[in-house]
Amino acid sequence: MLWVDKYRPKTLDHVMVHQDIAQNLKKLVTEQDCPHLLFYGPPGSGKKTLIMALIRQMFGPSAEKVKVENKTWKVDAGSRTLDIELTTLSSTNHVELSPSDAGFQDRYVVQEIIKEIAKNRPIDTKGKRGFKVLVLNEVDKLSREAQHSLRRTMEKYSAYCRLILCCNSSSKVTEAIRSRCLNVRINAPTDEEIVKVLEFIGNKEGLQLPSGFAARIADKSNRSLRRAILSFETCRVQQYPLTSKQVIPPMDWEEYIAEIASDVMKEQSPKRLFQVRGKLYELLINCIPPEIILKRLLYELLKKLDAELKHEVCHWAAYYEHRMCLGQKAIFHIEAFVAKFMSIYKSFLIATFG
Amino acid sequence: MSDNRQADIRKWFMKSHDKGNGKESKPATPAPANSERQVHGGQENSGRRKTSKYFATDKQKLKEEKETEEHLPAKRKTQKDSDESLKSPPSKKVHKVDADDDDDFVLPSSRKNSVDVTPSKKLKLGLGRGVTQKPVDVEENDEDDDKNIETPLRSGGRGRGGRSSSAAPAGGRGRGGGRGGFMNFGERKDPPHKGEKEVPEGAPDCLAGLTFVISGTLDSLEREEAEDLIKRHGGRVTGSVSKKTNYLLCDEDIGGQKSKKAKDLGTAFLTEDGLFDMIGASKPAKALAQEESKKPEDTVAPLPKKSPQKIEAKKDKISNSLTTKVAGKGLISGASPAKRKTQTAEKNASTWTEKYKPKVPSDIIGNQSLVKQLHDWLAHWNEQFVDTGNKKKGKKQNDSGAKKAVLLSGGPGIGKTTSAKLVSQMLGFQAIEVNASDSRGKADSKIEKGIGGSNANSIKELVSNEALSINMDRSKHPKTVLIMDEVDGMSAGDRGGIADLIASIKISKIPIICICNDRYSQKLKSLVNYCLLLSFRKPTKQQMAKRLMQVANAEGLQVNEIALEELAERVNGDMRMAINQLQYMSLSMSVIKYDDIRQRLLTSAKDQDISPFTAVDKLFGFNAGKLRMDERIDLSMSDPDLVPLLIQENYINYRPSSVGKDDNGIKRMSLIARAAESIGDGDIFNVQIRRYRQWQLSQSSSLASCIIPASLLHGQRETLEQGERNFNRFGGWLGKNSTMGKNMRLLEDLHVHLLASRESSSGRKTLRVEYLTLLLKRLTEPLRVLPKDEAVQNVVEFMNIYSISQEDFDTIVELSKFQGHPNPLEGIQPAVKAALTRAYKEGSKSRMVRAADLISLPGMKKAPKKRIAAILEPSDDGLVDGSGELLAENEEESSSDTEELEGTANGEKLQLELQSLNSKGVEVKLDLKGTGNSSAKKTSAGRGKAGSGPTEKKGARGSGTGAKRKR
Repeated sequence: MLWVDKYRPKTLDHVMVHQDIAQNLKKLVTEQDCPHLLFYGPPGSGKKTLIMALIRQMFGPSAEKVKVENKTWKVDAGSRTLDIELTTLSSTNHVELSPSDAGFQDRYVVQEIIKEIAKNRPIDTKGKRGFKVLVLNEVDKLSREAQHSLRRTMEKYSAYCRLILCCNSSSKVTEAIRSRCLNVRINAPTDEEIVKVLEFIGNKEGLQLPSGFAARIADKSNRSLRRAILSFETCRVQQYPLTSKQVIPPMDWEEYIAEIASDVMKEQSPKRLFQVRGKLYELLINCIPPEIILKRLLYELLKKLDAELKHEVCHWAAYYEHRMCLGQKAIFHIEAFVAKFMSIYKSFLIATFG
Repeated sequence: MSDNRQADIRKWFMKSHDKGNGKESKPATPAPANSERQVHGGQENSGRRKTSKYFATDKQKLKEEKETEEHLPAKRKTQKDSDESLKSPPSKKVHKVDADDDDDFVLPSSRKNSVDVTPSKKLKLGLGRGVTQKPVDVEENDEDDDKNIETPLRSGGRGRGGRSSSAAPAGGRGRGGGRGGFMNFGERKDPPHKGEKEVPEGAPDCLAGLTFVISGTLDSLEREEAEDLIKRHGGRVTGSVSKKTNYLLCDEDIGGQKSKKAKDLGTAFLTEDGLFDMIGASKPAKALAQEESKKPEDTVAPLPKKSPQKIEAKKDKISNSLTTKVAGKGLISGASPAKRKTQTAEKNASTWTEKYKPKVPSDIIGNQSLVKQLHDWLAHWNEQFVDTGNKKKGKKQNDSGAKKAVLLSGGPGIGKTTSAKLVSQMLGFQAIEVNASDSRGKADSKIEKGIGGSNANSIKELVSNEALSINMDRSKHPKTVLIMDEVDGMSAGDRGGIADLIASIKISKIPIICICNDRYSQKLKSLVNYCLLLSFRKPTKQQMAKRLMQVANAEGLQVNEIALEELAERVNGDMRMAINQLQYMSLSMSVIKYDDIRQRLLTSAKDQDISPFTAVDKLFGFNAGKLRMDERIDLSMSDPDLVPLLIQENYINYRPSSVGKDDNGIKRMSLIARAAESIGDGDIFNVQIRRYRQWQLSQSSSLASCIIPASLLHGQRETLEQGERNFNRFGGWLGKNSTMGKNMRLLEDLHVHLLASRESSSGRKTLRVEYLTLLLKRLTEPLRVLPKDEAVQNVVEFMNIYSISQEDFDTIVELSKFQGHPNPLEGIQPAVKAALTRAYKEGSKSRMVRAADLISLPGMKKAPKKRIAAILEPSDDGLVDGSGELLAENEEESSSDTEELEGTANGEKLQLELQSLNSKGVEVKLDLKGTGNSSAKKTSAGRGKAGSGPTEKKGARGSGTGAKRKR
């Protein structure tokens, strides 16, 4: 089993980072009824872990017995019937799903499926909790329509259904939804916390950690605990007696984007643009989300760029990312960004060096 | 000489004939064509005269003048003829004119006489008509400028007059085109001297009876133009060479199929110039007339007496034609007005379509075999269905395979209804026609034609009542046939129309003929099974032309066959429309020529099919900047989905011509950036259009995604990769997108399996972006470093923990492949791979199933895609089983689609029955872990319904589900 999963804390008591939040949550569910919750924070900060631990706290170990269903829902959308395939993860008391997986049809997921799930009242037998929990992932990816549909559901079925929403950025969640929830901000763990966790794992696994190694991983991990643990294990697989000088292997796709960035920096020509398009397609085909590509590409470019251009390039990256959200064919916009960058950079080079 | 050459380079192209220095400095024309031309030039100098008049030598001029003189009488004679022939039938008249022309040509000497004869008459005419018409004359000239090419031969005199003045503008246009052609010189495919030659005007029938085939690229004409030219002069153009072909028109022998065949058949080869000569030769007079009007002083000098008269005569002709034109549309023609008038009166009574309706089946154009089939069917209907029906009902019907109804299908105006009516009439059936103008619904009460005096209401009753009446006294009543016209038009108003019709067919005692336009219409799907299908085809244009000719002759119209064929082609096989058009045209003219039909039916011209590639080629073409906006929109709209993709794929490849000198490519790069942004705009528009149905934006969308990028970057295409062909690539997005979709699905499968393993609960994105690298490492690294057996065991164990199947393994490897990076499986011995596969397969027999795959539900029409995963619990947490039981109940409540697990513990196999809400039972076989799991079975037996030992719990449970099922 991977270490990330193996050492994931199962209960609120065992969490190593965000202990204060965990204790508060524990108090919240043990002492009184639970409101709707909205967890937000950067990836790898422990939102999902906290949510799972919280559910376990509410319903006991049975919450861990989940089953996965991947099924096609037939949804009546006016004149036609839509088939929406959706994966749900459910135990007896909770259902977890990512409505944004349905893409632009997410509205129907919220309107039909979530409502359907929410309005089925659990049969309460032994004076247990009279509600069930619906965990929705990636709420910030939901379209506006879907979020609007969601807010009615939250009110109407609040008697026996609690929603736990999970997202990266609360700014993309409408005010209306935010105000209906208890917002819980989960910060990214600090480097020290990450080091602590890594050392804990190393200890459990009986590994010899060279000094400074954990700190280097933490540094590379961009304050994502998951990322840190994963690359820790990658290092372990790659080479066992760990040395302090060992390279921390980057993700394959990050490597690839770095190549693209250096390509772009080296030569700005239609020919190069064409090659870059091929590489971008390669990334997209390998299921790397386009916004991550764009972000990473900008990051790599900024590393090599002169200070005076940084602002402008950032501006254009943001501009094209916005347009990418509006549009559908991501490659067009990423390519447009690359073209724009080439154009800017080329004229910059010529202006400076003649 | 060389200076001369430089200065006159344009003239060279315009001139296209080699007089004098032409031989020394040849323009860039293919050699064979040139030599051919020379030969022709030598042969027929007179025909050449027109094109080369600007370079004519003195000698030629003299000759021309002479000829001018010679031709004057011809013109006058024509005029005279036309006046004379007012009473004679038009056909005769035209013929006469032609004969005169020929005479002019063959017997120049005899003309001298006629010159002497005509002047008096000439003068008289001039006095009679051309009195104060000078201003009109100018106007008329202008008008002719506009439609110079057209010049129809309405009446003899007028046609001549018009043409004589129009030849000059025609030449002018040729020159204008020539300039464009010169600029376009670099373009491919176009004729090398496009528009540089003057297209001669000839006698309208000078090519009559000749058949041409065009092959390859001509010297100056587009193929369509050449076709037009030939047709206009009465020739026929066919697609392939046959024995009937008189000439193969080609300027360069490309050695294709056509020329090969032509050589075999001994068909004569003809160059474009040869064709021009043929046409020009037929009509030398006009060129002169034009010459004359241009530089009158030339002609005045040698012929001081005659020329004024001549000019006057010309004016006279023009004004004459003008006045007649103004006078009345129906009366323009040279045909006797009285007759035409009476004709018009007659026509008002009945339209031609009615008047010339086929009277006997053999009159029907085309589809004779189908008519015959229909005839046979109808003729045998009674003996087949009625008579035998009385004796042995049903039996014979089945085995004969005959249908009780017939369905005629085919486009409009090809004679379906006509044939149906005619055939029934011929066989003595009384036809009852029910068409879309009658309401044909089930509860119809409007069909008042009850047969046999009955008040039959609906079709059904009509049919059955008729059956009765047949039975009662067949001798008295005529046999009846029901013609259901336009059955595909049975629409909302005709409630249950088709179904009722089918029912009627089943019980019918009379034959039913159904008629529709589109046999494959969805509405008729059920009907076709009950009908004998007869699909009418469009008649050929020759067949149609033949019949149209009969009509025209009967109406006293002067039309040639080529024109009718063109008409037939334009109406797309619709005879009715052809006749209507003919009638309409007959109102304004009595002689209909090819050009008239062309002009009239211009609107119904065949739509050009532009392939997306052609469209993109044109948009990005070197001179795309000259395209009009509407042309660009048309091009980009030729396929609004594909063209933007092609543009996006190829826009980088163009070197924009709008950028002049661009040493370091900055300008190009910034243009590319702008184009890319615009393409992005197009994508955003597209989302608005598709998602929010804002179709009014589609023009803006094509503007943003096609026109702007193309107009920024159009120019020369260049290749970006070695060995790439310099053609536009197909849009890569489609393929990449579908690959991405496939990979997404695979990733989703992997994701589900991982979730099902219950060890991980990450999202799909996280899985790809963060987990995948490590997963790959964990799966491949041991295979590389550890000894074989240990490695395999290690990996299989890991796979089992995360429920990673063999396919998921491949998915992980696939998704980690990057172009230009080493294959993730590199360095792994094939033997190890094989061992891994074996070990995994081995293990799968005893694997605890956490993820079941696609299950098809028998009994359902379409198996919904449904994957059930992780239904079994691990054997070690039996402690919560009791509570789990209750919870399971809740769980079923919570998910709308209930599933129920039934375990039958018989060794290794476990039968799972999945129960959906609508109680569709399914059986799925799942492999279970053998030894370790039998105990799990025991613990979960309570949960299962048909478990090994019946228990209290199980019973309760069973009833519960039973109740649920009823629900």
